[in-house]
Amino acid sequence: MLTVASLAPGALQARLAGDGLRLRTGRFSVRLQAAIPSVAAGIGQLYGDYPLLQDSDFADFHLQLVRPRSPRRWLRPQVRLHCDGYEMFQPMPLQHAFPMFEWGLNWCVSSRAHRYLIVHAAVLERRGRAVILPAPPGSGKSTLTAALSGKGGWRLLSDELTLLELDTGLLVPNPRPISLKNASIDIIRAYVPDAVLSTPVQDTTKGTVAHMRAPGDAVRRAADCAAPAWIVFPHYSAGAATTLEPLARAATFMELAGNSFNYSVLGAAGFHALGRLIEQAAGFRFRYSALDEALDTFARLDES
Amino acid sequence: MPVQWQVVPGQSLLHRSWDGQVVLYNEVSGATHLLDAATLDLLHALRDGELAPEDWADPELQLTLADLRKLYLVEPC
Amino acid sequence: MKADVPLLLRALRAPQQLASLPPAGWDLLLRQAANANLSATLHDWLAQHGVLAQALPQAREQLSWAAVMARRHRQATYWEIRLIGKALAGLGLPLLLLKGGAYAAAGLPPAAGRLFSDIDILVPEDSLPQVEAALMRHGWVGTHHDHYDQRYYREWMHELPPMMHVLRQTAIDVHHTILPRTAAQRPDAQLLRAAARPVAGDGAPPGTAVLAPLDMVLHSATHLFADGEFDKGLRDLWDLHCLLTHFGARETGFWEALPARARQHQLQRFMFYGLRYSAMLLGTEVPPATMAAMAPDGPAPALLAVMDALFMRALLPHHPSCRGAGAALADFLLYVRGNWLRMPPLRLARHLFHKAFLTPKNSQRAAA
Repeated sequence: MLTVASLAPGALQARLAGDGLRLRTGRFSVRLQAAIPSVAAGIGQLYGDYPLLQDSDFADFHLQLVRPRSPRRWLRPQVRLHCDGYEMFQPMPLQHAFPMFEWGLNWCVSSRAHRYLIVHAAVLERRGRAVILPAPPGSGKSTLTAALSGKGGWRLLSDELTLLELDTGLLVPNPRPISLKNASIDIIRAYVPDAVLSTPVQDTTKGTVAHMRAPGDAVRRAADCAAPAWIVFPHYSAGAATTLEPLARAATFMELAGNSFNYSVLGAAGFHALGRLIEQAAGFRFRYSALDEALDTFARLDES
Repeated sequence: MPVQWQVVPGQSLLHRSWDGQVVLYNEVSGATHLLDAATLDLLHALRDGELAPEDWADPELQLTLADLRKLYLVEPC
Repeated sequence: MKADVPLLLRALRAPQQLASLPPAGWDLLLRQAANANLSATLHDWLAQHGVLAQALPQAREQLSWAAVMARRHRQATYWEIRLIGKALAGLGLPLLLLKGGAYAAAGLPPAAGRLFSDIDILVPEDSLPQVEAALMRHGWVGTHHDHYDQRYYREWMHELPPMMHVLRQTAIDVHHTILPRTAAQRPDAQLLRAAARPVAGDGAPPGTAVLAPLDMVLHSATHLFADGEFDKGLRDLWDLHCLLTHFGARETGFWEALPARARQHQLQRFMFYGLRYSAMLLGTEVPPATMAAMAPDGPAPALLAVMDALFMRALLPHHPSCRGAGAALADFLLYVRGNWLRMPPLRLARHLFHKAFLTPKNSQRAAA
């Protein structure tokens, strides 16, 4: 199976600038067109392990990043994103092009893939059992995800989009680069020294953003689904003691529904899938400040 | 004459219960509700025709049903 | 079929041919369908013809996602119709649904795989104030507060300014006839209401009605061919094709009565175009006698050649793969024509100016 890394940088850039680069991320195939150096660099650095597809293959999502001929295209260069022909976001400064690709692909999956209940959460697996980490922005979820997958021995399934397959109740991997913001960039640089991080991009709507390459093992095992065992709502708070409190099931249900992109679209099927998940996976609220203690708590989840 | 109520036609009262709390899927509006076990019991009783004249005369029950009406779970007969 | 017929049209006309489609073909077909708002429809259409099971698995997968969305839309539409029925219950009027709402309530073929937007209803003109008041009492609010827009709708168009429900964010369009007051053609709204048929069933509260089959078909053709914007033209043409095929097979005397009914409502030109392009693009089996009877209602041959050139481009999927030379110009000319049909020349100039320069920018559109 050929991967993106098999393309020399020149060939990679040529595909991106031309008819598009086609690659697979988990169950989805993506065609990306972007004649933008920072995007080619980001893809080269972070997507090397991903299967490369042929031009004649079917692509689920077609993304195009283009530089518009706006009046100030030299002084204030911009980038526009088209997803399957639709422009879903306002144009952004050109230096935000790679993060824009990541957000755009998240958008495509979360707004369309209705075979899954898609929760805005990270999901990781260890010894056959998976933990779901739903969290609004600022809760430290991504830092925790990077630490758990980079150093804690957990396999990354996804850092943003948890895909719960409606028919089977299994969690389907969708491993992609982990997005880190602001302070967590330096924290992870220190905590996971061999992590590969993209060059941070400043002044995005989320602050400074960098992406960490998904571990090669996570990408290679993208076809291995996992059974859910725990749902942990993380809250980072500077100086906080590490605590793990069980949550009532009904409350966990409602909070997960509220953190899902497509719960309201799925109707009764979504209700049943979420109900089954709550039967199988216990819910917890998790407060922490020290990463070592956090990893330790997760290591002992089987014992709870 | 106190108002009599029924479950809105089309509701099969799809629900899950855990520890005295209930999540219920509203098939008519597409919404999901968090209720307590007593409210679910009331809905089941309504569906199964188990309410007696003294139940209908209870003003608190009427208030509860008026609230449930706003969720389109019940309606006056 | 000609090789340059867009893939989406080939899929709609001859779904069995898709068995030999390569992956890149499925990819293109799905993108054309998404662009034309026909994804879920394609899912149901292929399933109906036993082609879905043999489709490329990734294509079948994507089409199933669209079907989930369509199912949710249908549930929401039934719900919305029910609530509108409750709001208007005291007024003693039938709940006369038009377009998508009508297809859903009556279980008609165009409802399959549809993504619904606004609900459209038809009421007597003199009941507009009570209808508006009843809706407002139940949580709908007016939109388009600009004085000019208000006048545009109330005086010149055929409807109240669209109303939106504060909680559900759903929209309702209240019409009193099916063409703007300012148009040259004057369909008889009273006749339309008198011929309306009651609907019973899951999707329909008591008192629900839809237009009679002939009128529903006329409305569909008018809605499409009196308009100026065709980015959803193929979707609308598909609806018309489904209605013609459905009623043609089930309503006795449907084809024979169509020309006279069209003329009675002064909508014969739009119906002429409807039959012509539905047959040409989608293969609708219109009996030769009906086509012949409608022939005098078409434009003069020179103009017909022009309209063919315009509509045959504008009604194709608007996906870039289907847009050849002349497509953008066709869009522009038809846009101007659409406004022309709705408003007399002097008002048209003023309207376009106002739309372009004076109406405050819609904040949702600015974000798109």
